[in-house]
Amino acid sequence: MKIPVFRTSLVATASFLPLSLIALIVFLVIYSWPAIQFNGVHFLWTNNWNLGNLYGNPVDRHGQQIMPGAAYGVWFLVVGTFLSSLLALIIALPLAVGAAYFLAESLPKWLAGPLTLLVDLLAAVPSVVFGLWGYSLLIPIMGQKVYPWLADTLHGVPFLGGSPGSGYGLLTVAIVLTFMVVPLISATMRDAIASVDAPLKEAGLSLGLSRLEVFWHVILPKLRKVLIGVSILALGRAIGETMAVAMVSGNALNYLPNNIYTPISTMAAFILTQLESALQDPTNMAVEALSEIALVLLAISVLVNSAARLILWMSKVR
Amino acid sequence: MSIVEAKTTMASESLSLSNRRLRISWRRHAFRLLGGLFVTACFFIVAFAFLSIIGDVLVRALPALRWKLFTEVSTGMGGGLKNAIEGTIVLSLGALLISAPIGIAAGIYLNEYGDNLGGRSLRFLSDVLVGVPSIVLGYVGYITMVVYLGWQFSVAAGMLTLSIMLLPYIARTTELALSAIPSAVREAGFALGAGDGRVAFKILLPGAAPAIMTGLFYATALSMGETAPLIYTAGWSNYMWDGKFTNEPIGYLTYVIWTFINEPFAESHQLAFAAAFMITSGVLLLILTGRWLMIRRLRRMGSYAG
Amino acid sequence: MLFRSKKALSHALKGALVVSALGLASLAAVPASAAPTISLLETGSTLLYPLFNLWVPVYTKMNPDVRITTQGTGSGTGIAQAISGVAQIGASDAYMSDAQIKEHPDMLNIPLAISIQMINYNVPGLNNRHLKLSGPVLAGIYSGTITNWDDAAIAKLNPGVKLPNHKIVPIHRTDGSGDTFIFTTYLSDTTPEWSQKVGYSTTVSWPNVQGGIGANGNPGMVEALKSTPYGIAYIGISWKKPVEQAKLGTAMLENKAGKFVLPTVPNAKAAAAEMVAKTPADERISLVYAPGAKSYPIINYEYAIVKSDQPKPEVAEAIRKFLTWAISPKGGNAPHFIEAVNFVPLPESVVKLSQAQIDKIK
Repeated sequence: MKIPVFRTSLVATASFLPLSLIALIVFLVIYSWPAIQFNGVHFLWTNNWNLGNLYGNPVDRHGQQIMPGAAYGVWFLVVGTFLSSLLALIIALPLAVGAAYFLAESLPKWLAGPLTLLVDLLAAVPSVVFGLWGYSLLIPIMGQKVYPWLADTLHGVPFLGGSPGSGYGLLTVAIVLTFMVVPLISATMRDAIASVDAPLKEAGLSLGLSRLEVFWHVILPKLRKVLIGVSILALGRAIGETMAVAMVSGNALNYLPNNIYTPISTMAAFILTQLESALQDPTNMAVEALSEIALVLLAISVLVNSAARLILWMSKVR
Repeated sequence: MSIVEAKTTMASESLSLSNRRLRISWRRHAFRLLGGLFVTACFFIVAFAFLSIIGDVLVRALPALRWKLFTEVSTGMGGGLKNAIEGTIVLSLGALLISAPIGIAAGIYLNEYGDNLGGRSLRFLSDVLVGVPSIVLGYVGYITMVVYLGWQFSVAAGMLTLSIMLLPYIARTTELALSAIPSAVREAGFALGAGDGRVAFKILLPGAAPAIMTGLFYATALSMGETAPLIYTAGWSNYMWDGKFTNEPIGYLTYVIWTFINEPFAESHQLAFAAAFMITSGVLLLILTGRWLMIRRLRRMGSYAG
Repeated sequence: MLFRSKKALSHALKGALVVSALGLASLAAVPASAAPTISLLETGSTLLYPLFNLWVPVYTKMNPDVRITTQGTGSGTGIAQAISGVAQIGASDAYMSDAQIKEHPDMLNIPLAISIQMINYNVPGLNNRHLKLSGPVLAGIYSGTITNWDDAAIAKLNPGVKLPNHKIVPIHRTDGSGDTFIFTTYLSDTTPEWSQKVGYSTTVSWPNVQGGIGANGNPGMVEALKSTPYGIAYIGISWKKPVEQAKLGTAMLENKAGKFVLPTVPNAKAAAAEMVAKTPADERISLVYAPGAKSYPIINYEYAIVKSDQPKPEVAEAIRKFLTWAISPKGGNAPHFIEAVNFVPLPESVVKLSQAQIDKIK
């Protein structure tokens, strides 16, 4: 039998995909190797990002050339990234599931179509436009009206009371991220709701339950795995979001939020905003340390996405 | 819990239980009412967010929407958007041209021959690749292509970075499109003596074309709206593209939004909103066209796709 | 029938790809047929950015054979991308460090103009008067030892002013910035403790001050200060207009002679006059904290960072020509350009030094 040319060429072309992922990882590991050696793992839980005295002379430390006083610790980024994404997920989950039920179960078909579009199209809005919206509309309203009122009402409640800040910060980031992940969760849930066996729903209805009760007691428990899978997927999306976060986060440096109105920064946004300063380091260690952040971010996204895909596959959602 | 209670209520007629039924039915009414209100509110909050984004961008872009946007290049503070519009088209079409053949081939492989360990791991890796934050791609693109290969800020670096992002996306939509075609169709082709390649090109791809096209439309929309992978690869230029692929930066609309909003001039702000309006309407138009294409083809011919 | 229409669709698919390929090719072909031009990329300082944007349209109108793209990305980027060759002209408020020059001896630091930095504050009721502040007081505020507006150290400088008992919110830049460089240079020059603990740079490790805010870029500083009552910030003079529109206060700063002066062009000129003679041939010098009774203490040269060895002679010529125009009092240093951004034109002797450096670009 002759060599299957077509299949072989398909395999060769298709292997671009895994190869590019592997190349990304290999490249980042090699490029950030000096920083990994210099920083160690405690890089992740120390809170000190300091490029050092860029106007001094490089010094030798642990066999690496660095600027005097340079230290690279990104705990504030780890905290900012996870807090903002988790907060966004907490707001987004009920919102998305509620909207999914509303669109999938409670509307006549002619109305459901166009209204579904309103939610789905949200996913198509570019992230920099989300950022623009946050910057130009959300921050003035939140910073001047809503947050002062909220902080005052919740006075004394840890993490919710306290200084309302200027509008740039954790909660604003979370709100913007929320609307970026809602369409993802909502669309997946809608498909999943539609895929639940009709007889199951009818059985519930015939017992005298309302549609909402059937959804809450019968359908949602069946879709638990899908919900978990798509939540993790949404978390991954939120963790990697760059532009919108950079525009509304307040770009905190080296400190942790003491309430939800405090400025934060995330790993992705930090790479975007700090590459420029880092390029000034003549020893290149700052750029390599940023590369280490990129590597950590990549590792997190690979882990999160792997977990989500595994769970979704187990529940037969593609 | 209330399922059990509901069953109990229906099953029983005794006096003590009918008292309980009153209480239960009050709680169920509350659940229905509040639940109904809640899901409606959820939908309206999300829909309101969408409309407020569109409205915010539209209202603030209106004063800047003039012909000048299409006929003049941008200066540092104002001007038009001709160069950025051209750049966005060049970059996203270029990325599409690179990633579509590879992505479609990968999609064919995944669906037709991918039911083994190799295929499964490929599928898995491409799903993971979809989740890689775009700033990471941009960062790697900068270090490798812009600096190491010496391409500088360039069209090629921007296109390649974007196409890496699109690859897994196109592969997966192609796979999904093909999976809707029943295997009987393939068998018919093979029975007529067609080889793998002939079946793929003459039967499968035409059959899945509407769905693949829709996927390509979405992919283009995706790449048009990207910023993070381009800032450090494509750079920015105030001029029209001169046709060089390396050593020549290029402008694009999303860059205008990101930087011009940070300038202390009203004209710059207007331009940022005008760019946001164009990119948003362009992206939405592509998505809607993709959807419309899909629906129309499905209606006209009936199709494999469900 | 189904089959045939699918086939038609496949043609449509192929057709679409061909059309887009052709479109791409034509987009590429049309501009390429125009006269050959030289592209220059200017990137860096957001303080210089508005000036470049005034220069470039005028200059390219006179010289249509050159294209100059401007980008406001921050001084750090300006220096780095000029070194890597990604940008032909790096704009920076800060000169390159000794270590950087040692590593890249072919880099030139060419002053194009002189800039001023304001210290602004948002203290309700006091924004219309000019509070007096000194280097040690600012260092105290930014290191957290002076926390209230009615602190004795501030009250001592401002006798008769009713200062509010309110916490000070210090605002600093989070991006790598020449503004941070000159501000921390002033703090280091005036306050030994700051010099030892923090020092000066385009990014420093800010002491942890309760409630302190980070902002991105000069406009970010204006926005943050506007929305933060009792805040204080350092802002470049080319953003004077938005600061005035927001009705923020501008401080009088203590200079080396112990006098309190405002960030005005005459006061900056006085300071520049003191430092001009000291400017070395490579022009890397801090103008901060100049002597003289009228001298405003925070001024600096705005630099073009350029590689002296350019890969192509025609590119080198284009850079030389543009920069020569830029520093000329009849060209880029003409009053209508410089005054629009509240800068100070280069003194005559510095123009000569800059010209000597520009001539080295080959």
